[in-house]
Formats: sequence, structure tokens, C-alpha cells
Amino acid sequence: MTRQRSRGLWYGVYALVLLGLVAGIWGMAARVHYDWNWKDVPKYLISTSGTELLAPFDAYVSISPDGKTLSLQEYGGERSASYTEFAEAYAESGDLVFRDDLLAYQAGLKPGILLIGLWMTLKLSAVSLVFALVLGLVAGLGRVADNPAARQLSSNYVELIRGTPLLVQIFIVYFFIGTVLQLSAFTAGVVALAVFTGAYIAEIVRSGIESVPRGQMEASRSLGMNYAQAMRYVILPQALKKTLPSLAGQFINLIKDSSLVSVMALTDLTKAGREIISSNFRPFEVWFTIALMYLALTGSLSYLVRRLEKRLAHD
Amino acid sequence: MTEAALIRATGVEKCYPNGTQALNGVDLSVARGEVVCIIGPSGSGKSTLLRTLNAMETITAGEVVVDGILVHARGTDLNRMRTHVGMVFQQFNLFPHMTALENVALAPMRVLRRPPAEARARAEELLVKVGLADKAQVHPGQLSGGQQQRVAIARALAMQPAIMLFDEPTSALDPEMVGEVLEVMKDLARDGMTMCVVTHEMGFARAVANRVIFMDAGQIQHQAAPAAFFDAPANDRLKAFLGQVLK
Repeated sequence: MTRQRSRGLWYGVYALVLLGLVAGIWGMAARVHYDWNWKDVPKYLISTSGTELLAPFDAYVSISPDGKTLSLQEYGGERSASYTEFAEAYAESGDLVFRDDLLAYQAGLKPGILLIGLWMTLKLSAVSLVFALVLGLVAGLGRVADNPAARQLSSNYVELIRGTPLLVQIFIVYFFIGTVLQLSAFTAGVVALAVFTGAYIAEIVRSGIESVPRGQMEASRSLGMNYAQAMRYVILPQALKKTLPSLAGQFINLIKDSSLVSVMALTDLTKAGREIISSNFRPFEVWFTIALMYLALTGSLSYLVRRLEKRLAHD
Repeated sequence: MTEAALIRATGVEKCYPNGTQALNGVDLSVARGEVVCIIGPSGSGKSTLLRTLNAMETITAGEVVVDGILVHARGTDLNRMRTHVGMVFQQFNLFPHMTALENVALAPMRVLRRPPAEARARAEELLVKVGLADKAQVHPGQLSGGQQQRVAIARALAMQPAIMLFDEPTSALDPEMVGEVLEVMKDLARDGMTMCVVTHEMGFARAVANRVIFMDAGQIQHQAAPAAFFDAPANDRLKAFLGQVLK
């Protein structure tokens, strides 16, 4: 009974601490006379401003009498085009428009810059993850290999990458390697993130392999399997299952680390936030929103991994 | 003897990098169909000797010929050689992520490139042979030690080896499970399998072995047929050892 009461008491303490934190933030906001305005945020998620309809070539405009159809006849050419799905025309009949001139707005919802940024973050993380896994597996196998060249090279790779900050690596990849090899910002981002995460995955793979009892390799080899077969069918399946929680942690780190590529010309979630703030000067709402979006991403990932772990833990 | 010898080790020495001399000039010859039990105190080199026979350990001098193959020569295809030599370990070393059936069928499928259906059918036969037909779909974690060791024997037999090496196969078992594993090994011996068994089971050695070898300090101290070996120990060291284990 007393146990039950003291548990209740500690939940009370927990609620009190949370309340204190909220009050503290509110107090801080009040102190700086910040004028909260959450109304602006949704439009950065889903944009209602519609799509701009641009002229595909130099042309004369004609609009039908009911105002529903806009036709183009190419200036000095044969091409023509007509549009019916638009909300508001910006050109008038008889106008001569040039390529990429604004003709009209098409109404409708489209993803806002935050969602576009989120998609870029997801795409960047997913592609980097694939390459990081391959790189980490190769380097991890190199770490436990007998061959001195493979062992030394993978060990140097891991030490080099883990010993330097990711931001510095991103700058080197983007400004040096990216310039020499003419990489796009996205490719440079993937290279930097994959190489960085690969080093950590290599260590996870190595510790996983070393956690499998020696007898497993001996038994496999005694049956006539070569080293690669023993690794593939016996050692790695066990090692990867054991390291799944650490691998999941590394994937979550990768998503968070991808925010650093916002220093390049790449509109990921973080960069999208900076762009919004530079136009509306509302850093508080935007950063809180972005933090929540990252949290949703990493939270659902760790949920998925927990489910996977449960499914694999049948024996 | 030399003509029919399936295993012939001559002057085998094994010195670890830290200077420990595990084997110190061992000569051993095992004929086809012979069952040899190796006994001796721990650290006497009996497991090491067994493991040099399929090159799980390297040697520093001497030579080992198994089924006509020079085991420790530079150009030997070790993986092919090992398909002729089955090995059973003290700790079973079953693959925990696979069912009993998959454990047995894995090497025939991957090494001998048998079609999966054929490998599985053969694995089922072998599980029947070791008395575990009903455990085919069970993972090793759910099997008793004795059952695991029998699966391990079936796994080694799946490669249709000419020789079976047993490295203290019953030492990690609870006493009530020793019998079932020894029974399977007796069946094997009756079928004419050539076997080298490192063991502490003197009863098994006396009943099944054609020859018993006593090792100490990295050397074969004495070998004889079981009756003579146990009833009239040839030297004081053996007498003292037998006195220890048989009391």
C-alpha cells in the first residue's frame, strides 16, 4: 500500500517537473516579449497558394469570352497550347508573353517547403543508409580479417572518420571532392553521410561478429565451408541479429546528422526551416515544428525496429 | 597397417607462439574402420592432436596424411579435405539461428551443392538415425544438451565423411544425457565408421574402442587394446591416471 502511494507521489513529481519546464519556457517567452504566432506554420507544411502557370514559349495570348480557356499561339512559330484548369489569369487577351512569364495561378494544395524538406531529409537518409550499410559491412569484415592490408585499411578508415567532426567532413566532401569530381549537392551529401555512418556501422558489425562464439566458425569450417560461406550463412546472420538495436540507433543518428548537410545548397528539413525564418523572422515556432518533425521520423523508425526485434526474437 | 591406414601422423609437433609445446613428436596411425579412443589428463595435448588431423590447428613439424591427403601441405585444399573428416565438438556448436534440419542440411547444400530437396530428405534420414525425427523443425535452444549433440553428429555425418573426430563429445553434458550420445556413437562404430574419440568415458572406451591411447605432456605414452590397457596398465603414470578417473 505504501509502495503504491509512493509511486503515485513520484508520478506527481514528474508532472510537476514537466509543468515547471512548460512554465519556464512560457516565462522566457514572456520576458523577451515574443509574439507567438502559430497560425503561419501550417502553410509551410501544406501550401494553398497554388501553382504558377508559366508560358512554355514566346506567344500571343487569347482568352475565351467566358474566361475559362487560355490559348497561346507561338510568336514567329507554329506551336500552340491551351489551358483550362486555372483560378485566376494574370495575362490578358492580345498580350505578347515571353517564355517563363506568369500566365495564371492554378488553384489547389501542394506540399509546403517543410514537407519538401522532410522528403529531402528522408531521401538523403535512406540513400545514405544503403551505402553506409554496404561500406560498414565491408569495413567491419575487414576489421576482423586475417589479411593485414584489409585490416589496416579498415582500421585507418574507422579511425580517420571517427576522429574528425562530421561538419568538417561535409565541407571537405562538398568543397574539395565535390569540386574535383563535379558532384551535385545531393551526391556530395550522400557521400559524406554514408562515409561517416559507415565507419560507425563497421564498428558495430565488428563487435557483432566478435560476439558470435568462436565455435561457430570452427564448426562451419570443419564441415568444409570456406571463410566466406561461414560468414554468410552462419556468422553474419547471428551477428546482425545481435547488433540490430545498435544499428537502429545508428540509423536514427544518421537522420539527425543529415541536418548538417543543410550547410550545402540542399533544401533538407533544417535548411527549409532556415529559409522560412529568413523570410518571416519567426524562429521559435519554426524550430519547434522542425524538432517535432524530426522526432516523428525517428520515433516511428525506432517503433518499427522494436517490432522487427520482437519478430526476430522467436528463439 | 600402413597400407590400410586412413590417418597417419608422423613426428607431429605443435608449439604455440607463447612457447607452450602442446605436441611433442606424436606418431599415430588409424586403420579404416578402427575406433581409437584417446585419453589423458587435461593439457596433455589430446584435443590438440585431434584438431591437427583436420587442420583446425596448424603444426610446427611433422606430417599428417588423412585419406591420402597431406593435410598440412601448402597446396592442400583444406575445405575439400574437411568434407572427408567429420568433427563433433564438446560444446556442440550448433547454429542457433537454424532448425535442427537446417543445421544438418546446410553444408551439403552449400558445400556439396546438393539440391535443397535432396539435402533435406537426407537430413531427415540422419535425424531419424540419431533418434530425433520429431525435432527436425526445432531450434537448438529448445533442445537438451544430449539432443543437441546428436544433431551435431547428424550434421557431421551429412557430409558422408570417411572419418569422424569426436572432441570430448560428452564432457559438457548432464550425466543423464551421456548415455544417449554414446549409444549413437556405438551405432556408428558398429556400422564400421573410422573414429577418433577424445573422451573421459572409460566405459565407452573399454566397450567400443579397438585401441586406447594414453597421452601426457604432448606425447603418446602408451597404446593398447582396451582389455590390456585397462586391466594391466603399462606404467605408473597411466596407473595413477586411471586410479584418478575410475575411482
